[in-house]
Amino acid sequence: MTQTTLPPTEKTAPVSAPGRGISDRSRAERKLGWMLAGPAFFVMLLVTAYPIVQAVYYSLFNYRLTDPENRSFRGLGNYAVILSDPVWWTSLWVTVLITVVTVAVELVLGFALAMVMAKALSSIRPIVRAAILIPYAVITVVSAFAWKFAFDVDTGFVNSWLAWLPGIGADTDWFGDRGTSLLVICITEIWKTTPFISLLLLAGLAQVPEVLQEAAKVDGATWWQRMRRVTIPNMKAAIMVAVLFRTLDAFRIFDSIFIMTAGANGTESVSFLAYRQTISRVEIGLGSAVSVLLFLAVVLIAFIFIKGFKVDLAQARGER
Amino acid sequence: MLSSGLAACGGDSGGVPTLTWYINPDSGGQAEIAARCTEAAEGRYTLVTAVLPRDSPSQREQLVRRLAAEDSSIDLMSLDPPYIPEFAQAGFLAPVPQEVGDRVTEGVVQSAIDGSTWDDELVAIPFWANTQLLWYRKSVVEQAGLDMSQPVTWEQLLQVAEQTGTTVSAQGTRSESLTVWLNALIESAGGSIIAENSTDPDQIQLGLTSDAGIRAAEVMRQVADSGVTGPAFSTANEDSNATQFEGPEAGFMVNWPFVWGRALSAVEGGTLDASVPDDIGWALYPQVDAGEPSAPPYGGINIGVGAYSQHPDLAYEATECITSDENQAYYMVSNGNPAASTAVYDDPEVVEVFPMAPVIAESLEQAAPRPQTPYYSEVSGGVQREYHAPSTVDPESTPQRAEDLISAVLRGDQLL
Amino acid sequence: MSTKEKTWWYVGGVAIIIYALFPVAWIVSLSFKAPSDIANKGFLPTSPTGENYSTILTGTASDLFLPALRNSFGICLIATFISCVLSMFAAYAIARLDFPGKKLILGTALGVAIFPVISIVTPLFNLWRQIGLYDTWLGLIIPYLSLTLPISIWTMSAFFREIPWEMEQAAQVDGATTWQAFRKVIVPLAAPGVFTTAIIAFFIAWNDFAYGISLTSTSVARPVPAALGLFSGASQFEDPTGAIAAAAVIVTIPVVALVLLFQRRIVAGLTNGAVKG
Repeated sequence: MTQTTLPPTEKTAPVSAPGRGISDRSRAERKLGWMLAGPAFFVMLLVTAYPIVQAVYYSLFNYRLTDPENRSFRGLGNYAVILSDPVWWTSLWVTVLITVVTVAVELVLGFALAMVMAKALSSIRPIVRAAILIPYAVITVVSAFAWKFAFDVDTGFVNSWLAWLPGIGADTDWFGDRGTSLLVICITEIWKTTPFISLLLLAGLAQVPEVLQEAAKVDGATWWQRMRRVTIPNMKAAIMVAVLFRTLDAFRIFDSIFIMTAGANGTESVSFLAYRQTISRVEIGLGSAVSVLLFLAVVLIAFIFIKGFKVDLAQARGER
Repeated sequence: MLSSGLAACGGDSGGVPTLTWYINPDSGGQAEIAARCTEAAEGRYTLVTAVLPRDSPSQREQLVRRLAAEDSSIDLMSLDPPYIPEFAQAGFLAPVPQEVGDRVTEGVVQSAIDGSTWDDELVAIPFWANTQLLWYRKSVVEQAGLDMSQPVTWEQLLQVAEQTGTTVSAQGTRSESLTVWLNALIESAGGSIIAENSTDPDQIQLGLTSDAGIRAAEVMRQVADSGVTGPAFSTANEDSNATQFEGPEAGFMVNWPFVWGRALSAVEGGTLDASVPDDIGWALYPQVDAGEPSAPPYGGINIGVGAYSQHPDLAYEATECITSDENQAYYMVSNGNPAASTAVYDDPEVVEVFPMAPVIAESLEQAAPRPQTPYYSEVSGGVQREYHAPSTVDPESTPQRAEDLISAVLRGDQLL
Repeated sequence: MSTKEKTWWYVGGVAIIIYALFPVAWIVSLSFKAPSDIANKGFLPTSPTGENYSTILTGTASDLFLPALRNSFGICLIATFISCVLSMFAAYAIARLDFPGKKLILGTALGVAIFPVISIVTPLFNLWRQIGLYDTWLGLIIPYLSLTLPISIWTMSAFFREIPWEMEQAAQVDGATTWQAFRKVIVPLAAPGVFTTAIIAFFIAWNDFAYGISLTSTSVARPVPAALGLFSGASQFEDPTGAIAAAAVIVTIPVVALVLLFQRRIVAGLTNGAVKG
């Protein structure tokens, strides 16, 4: 079985009105196309391209908002400071760790949820579907508060519920050290974003031809074999899209960390580091440099995925 | 003086000028004071409030961002004292008129005046002055035979707590509170976080590795390792301390006076036994070395007038109303925030609600402010990074590491 | 499917429901705990009270919460509306017309979608304070477009591509004018896609936190997620856990209502835009 990617549905090819000159028509269409799509395009460009160019510019200066007179050109000095500072590397490591752990768990868990939803009896399917959308729709900040309060020594119930586990008691301080803080942060992220992945995977599951499944069953393939040989290869595009989007999303983690630990105990992510330098410390120069590095990291990840793993988004999305 | 006075009058042909007062969140006391002052102003100005974030570093963030944008809507602001030098140095505060300065510092506790001063000039108006006390359970000290009429040391507290199976609550969380604690310990040991001050960040000399600094680190570690701090010491803040202190194993706590009002309202709400407040006693902040008077933390709020305000004169007029003895007394009684004016502590109404008022006044005279520097947030941030968690503080190496970090951050050679 | 198998899938379905609703149930339960009951270490309040709700709706925190709620609704609805209008045109062009640059537009949308918000915040803050957009509705609506536009364009073009446009011509052949054909045939076919996209865009704008805390500073424009962090207890040192929980419940109500009413559409929208063409 060779892999079949999702069929590009091009149900309606561009209508060509008969009886007109082809060049005239295409010129008119081109003009109309840009007239219609142009505003959205330029708005998107404006709110992202301009700020990032400005960030690159500021990143070359030593510039503190409360001390504008001493603003001075520093060249790449800010970058040298950041890249030689363990704080940057720690936050990068934390970010990568959270990204890898959450995406891996979400993929497995999301797959299980998708299977259940695919098989769930029609009587409860709408309820399951509505329920699964709730974590997706709940504000990240709210979910972060809910989990924080749940694990908190004073306000939480987790300690008393899990007291039967060795090592957990009424006094267990989940936010007291790095490992457990990161664990709780990961749980929060996983809870909130698994539904999105599972819905993408569910859509992917629907693309797996039932005939192939049946054929494999007739051939006596076990569940696991069917999974590996039929289901997963046929879902590859959906899986890669889900992983790419979640990876980039997880890499930008900010809200949960802000609410749950505020970066204490070595739980600072790159986004949070950038926020603290620019917004809290008002060190515009240094902070802009962190922002630029964060941007480059995201571009790099996207590049690796698209080139390295050959995620063809256009194909996956039915674009040509 | 004259020209700005004219501007104030001429600028508002349209009606009564509205002054905006950016306040830290409280239980409504500042809003009430604003209403009272509006009434008292008889149409000269209307004072309205706008709420800032809850913790003081975020309050500073918001104000700095707005002031850097030369926002003229900031007429008055409630400032946490450690950030006042930064605001003054950046030119964010309108100069205090001489005669206003003379009037508002009369009869005010010294620590509040110090906290409003930068470069030997009064730059803000003292409003209320906070200080931490040592709170204890009478039953516990009785059982242990500890004489609370005499100053006690941290060591004694730990001993008694261990002996009686009770807790000592302090703020071990990674936040401003940790700097507050470390500063109180160093000042009590006779040192300072900043040994040699300067407006040039490269010239600031730190005092963390001085004898007093090392002693402070020792005490911090000792408390963290004592086993009597209760659970989750590394995330314990003022509020969780207060919860712990209302609980059954409570022994001692260093905390701000809000805990008294908190306990009383818990009794009122029926969630705390009425016997608990009766068992609560108070004394001056514990000493680091026996016989050396302690330097309790100093906090509170001083009022700054925005440099870009269109009505600085009216704003200063409003500060005089806000900080009147009457309003300070009202604020203390209703919101539990201690007054900066000494006269308020003789007010019978105040003494009735705050039986510990004389101790607060005494504590305020003895209190030491946190380092006065325009780079306070860097200093405090560096302290928090190296001294958290308190159980990992090593008196041999932590002070040196913190000094290296803060110096590098001030030079712009390191992130924070 | 055997009965045994059926039972297992049923159990799985129920497990998903519990998984999804449990933390929400917890925050609801927490919001009914009295301040002194917050630390009762249990899941449920000892005796439920509406105290927290009165704090944020009529009490001391209402000055903070009510304007924030108004801002959140206003800003998110406007941003959703603008991004829907803009992406409707763009998606129509992408689905229906053949022109060079289509790929560029979709690629840009993708690039903007993966853009780290924090990288934009600082320069925007600097620019906004210079041109006076700091702490205004417009100052949030514009950056919100960078969040909502890309997904709107993707989702809507996926929907539009499935519309049988030839029906329009069929209608015209049947004697309808262009406008009639558009209004009677195309609008009803396109409306569900636009509507679904609007819901998803609204979710995304409603969820924002980074822009909210960085580009506002007063009740003039501060949205709810940013305001949650500002609540205060009875004094500055007391934790406002109950008030936060109550406010969290209130901001969750609109999104839960949308989910319950339009779950089928939302699922279609989310998966269409991302996976299907």
